[in-house]
Amino acid sequence: MVLNWIKKKASTIVGDKDKNKSAKGAHKGTGIITFNNVEEAMKAEKILKKDGCYCKLVAPPPHLRKGCDLALEIELVEQPVIDRLLTDKVEYNGIHPLTGMKELLEVVKVTYYEKHTMVKSANMKLVFDNESGIIVNISGGGCPDIPYLYTKLVGCNVMDAPEPRDLGYTLCALMLSRAQEECLSLWKEGRFK
Amino acid sequence: MLIAGTVPQEDLPLIKGTVRREGDVLKVNDYALPCTQGTSAMVSAALTTTSYLGLEPPRVLLVGDIGKGKGSRELYQYLIDRITDLSPRVLALHYCLPIVRLMQKFYSSVEKCKKKPLLIADAGSMYAAKAAGVASGFDIFTPDLSEISFLADPEAVHPAYISHHLFSNDSKRIPELIKKAYSNKAAAKVLLVKGAVDYIAKSGEIIETVEEPNIPELECIGGTGDTITGIVTALAYAELELEDAAIISAKANRVAGQMSKATPATKVGEVIDYLPSVFKENICQWSGVCIR
Repeated sequence: MVLNWIKKKASTIVGDKDKNKSAKGAHKGTGIITFNNVEEAMKAEKILKKDGCYCKLVAPPPHLRKGCDLALEIELVEQPVIDRLLTDKVEYNGIHPLTGMKELLEVVKVTYYEKHTMVKSANMKLVFDNESGIIVNISGGGCPDIPYLYTKLVGCNVMDAPEPRDLGYTLCALMLSRAQEECLSLWKEGRFK
Repeated sequence: MLIAGTVPQEDLPLIKGTVRREGDVLKVNDYALPCTQGTSAMVSAALTTTSYLGLEPPRVLLVGDIGKGKGSRELYQYLIDRITDLSPRVLALHYCLPIVRLMQKFYSSVEKCKKKPLLIADAGSMYAAKAAGVASGFDIFTPDLSEISFLADPEAVHPAYISHHLFSNDSKRIPELIKKAYSNKAAAKVLLVKGAVDYIAKSGEIIETVEEPNIPELECIGGTGDTITGIVTALAYAELELEDAAIISAKANRVAGQMSKATPATKVGEVIDYLPSVFKENICQWSGVCIR
């Protein structure tokens, strides 16, 4: 009965009116987490709210409806930290942007300098020294964890630097992780000289 | 001039004040901030520029945030509540969590100002302004190549979700992307697109490109985009035409990179230290402002 009330409330909150809003972009910047059952959705809401992440129980739009009729609306930029908070604690189907591309950008570009290699993933760039493997610079990005990750990664060797996805909270950190993975791969295979 | 943004110190409360430089650090009230990538680099460059021009130093509104978003939310809320009282002539927004709903509220508050501030955005604030649909109300954006792809994509809410057909590593596509950004109403009045060639566009038209001196190493250095934003903010505050401010900023950054003999391992502070020399040698010729 309580669960029915929550479902009804979520439908009332977003309902048809809000679905139209989504289509028009009024909820740009948000994403949806889908679940197989209501209990997991509620558990996730509790975990995320406790950690200060924005979230709201909503009815998922039809094209994202998988499993149960309750989903969590989130700030999409916080996808990595939300993923980390929920992994092994809550069963969920996935995190989906409400508009635009459904998959993260996978393009990685490598630029070679005389003594350094720069790897770019989306808006993030990571640079390492070809001789020592030391990360010498991080550039790009706009989320607040990037200057923080700069202080944690620059000066570390690509082999044992912490992973941005473990320390960071945002999509910029996720893109930096992809650049770091490519750096590691280049370094291990000696493909940088 | 007011510069608002986050710095990577989790325990730093929201601080307001005039910024000054003491040795290698920035000081706001009694708080010391290292000059690293991000808002600190932007503030350092703005301060260096205002100092050279003999203008009052930037006022700043800074808060600690390492990505959790608490500081960013506090910053947005402060601006939402107080912007009509603060009423700065120039307001530059920089690193913060791009929270679309709060950016929309902030912009609504800005519209209530008796005189709308000149609005400049880069980094997370630019992402939020674009995703919130208020980009065309801003005066200057300073995107790089991936970020102009983001502005050109009408649906993307973050550069991590750019459509593959719009994402570009080829600077030759910048003119096309600039056109798309303007037609989507996702561009500020003036765009300074930072890259191998810097493009300055106004109201949909490219009015200038800057490509000399060519210092490819600058792309590696965390904070060299932030310094451009800092310089353009200070020059806008000095009441230069916005497009002139953008052109001079692009040139100054390149020459500072050249003077510092930048390598991919150079730190942004080393580049900023050369800005006074750059201004001394060039700003009179570039701008007509001949003060020393």
